[in-house]
Amino acid sequence: MVEANKEMKEGISAWAKFYRKGTGYLAFAFHRLSGLVILFYLYLHYTVLSNLLRGQATYNAIVKSITYGPYDSFLALDFLLALVIFYHGANGVRLALNEFGIGMYHHKALFFTFEIIAMILLGLFDYYALQFVGVGF
Amino acid sequence: MTDEYEFEIKRKDESGKVYYSTYKVPKDKISTVLEGLLYIKENIDQSLSFRYSCRMEICGSCGMEIDGKPRMACSTIVEDLKKDRIRIEPLKHYKVIRDLVVDIDPFFEKYREVKPYIIRDDDGKYDKELPQTPEQFHEYANFAMCIKCGLCMAACPIEGSDPQYLGPAPLAAAWRYIADNRDKGAKYRVEVVDGEEGTSRCHFAGECTEVCPKGVDPSFAIQKLRRTALKIELASIFGGR
Amino acid sequence: MVENEKMKYGSLNRFVQAVTGLFLIFFLGVHLYVAHIDFRHPVAFFSSVINQLHNPWWLAFFLIFVYIITYHGINGLNHIVADTSISERAKRDIGIALMVIYVITIIYGTILALLVARMTVPA
Repeated sequence: MVEANKEMKEGISAWAKFYRKGTGYLAFAFHRLSGLVILFYLYLHYTVLSNLLRGQATYNAIVKSITYGPYDSFLALDFLLALVIFYHGANGVRLALNEFGIGMYHHKALFFTFEIIAMILLGLFDYYALQFVGVGF
Repeated sequence: MTDEYEFEIKRKDESGKVYYSTYKVPKDKISTVLEGLLYIKENIDQSLSFRYSCRMEICGSCGMEIDGKPRMACSTIVEDLKKDRIRIEPLKHYKVIRDLVVDIDPFFEKYREVKPYIIRDDDGKYDKELPQTPEQFHEYANFAMCIKCGLCMAACPIEGSDPQYLGPAPLAAAWRYIADNRDKGAKYRVEVVDGEEGTSRCHFAGECTEVCPKGVDPSFAIQKLRRTALKIELASIFGGR
Repeated sequence: MVENEKMKYGSLNRFVQAVTGLFLIFFLGVHLYVAHIDFRHPVAFFSSVINQLHNPWWLAFFLIFVYIITYHGINGLNHIVADTSISERAKRDIGIALMVIYVITIIYGTILALLVARMTVPA
């Protein structure tokens, strides 16, 4: 067993230091951050869905307040959430492929390829989602 | 552009005080960072401590944090940094003994844990030599290039947040021997590298591969190790072996 | 790094994390498409949710979805906890706590989905 050396450790705050770090490092740090954000949202989502049990009126009032006001500024966070989910997913596909031993020599190219695809999909998603909320273009 | 480099060096004296010293080094006298340090030691400040030996990227002694990235001082051309002011610090994630000298014993302790030697199942009682084709050699040749400089350990983010993690170089060494066709010790090594502090802790930031001066690819080795370990784990669940 | 004979299944854990992640691409893709793009009215109001859960296939879809996404999230959080330098004991305790949270979440999710599926569609 190697003695843990207190002087050696930087702590998890070091994950947020990007000076002179490579693509893989950025991908790693943002993957963790985005994962935490999504996990937080997941439980928020469960909480909101729990209100289904409180009946039609309550649930509809909550959904309406978030979508059309007075709390519609949450929609901006929704766009950030979509960005984070698409990022996490695209990077996750790359990591999973690497896990299965595919494309390990090209992981940087894969990262950019998947991220670009994901961002295009995100753009399409945002466009259609906005249309259904009622924002015209 | 001036005709002098400024070396800003993070130092630590015997009382444990940490401070920065700045030295001016003429550009026409040096080409590598190590030469710059030697120039300082010979002409400006004899108390500056750093470790070096071969000056040609073989011994792995002169690893240090140069301009925010772990590099070998001997093989880092100062001009390539495209800066006149160069900040030099001791390697991260190691205990600093003095100035730029770090204690790399914990790294070697971890290295030993992965059993970096050929393990045979015949107690060495084979009566003819163990043949190896060029293809079999190239399976592990890349990972045998490791000079144990420990730069990857300083670059690894997981190593920084949890010093218990085995780290890139030891894991690459484990793969170097598992990939060797003469070796029969995979199951012993997997016990070590697949533990709490082993391969499952790598999250593919790829910094180890990025900083390796010898072009070793530890992150690739770790993925390979994981696949090997996975096969052994699945075999232990679904019978067989 | 205790050299005991017990299998650790660290690689299997990572493999399962990757596989569940790929499943989630599919599940979340379908979910986002259905919930935000392909519905006849702007927002998933009460009746549309109830309607969807009345279909046993959608009910199964959401149950599996909840099991997998919660596992992936909790396990990912556990990976992050494992990479901090807190003591082994603390890591083990947090691991157990997260496992309990997972079990509670999926039980709650199952009950919630089944209860909602039994609600009557409002006229």
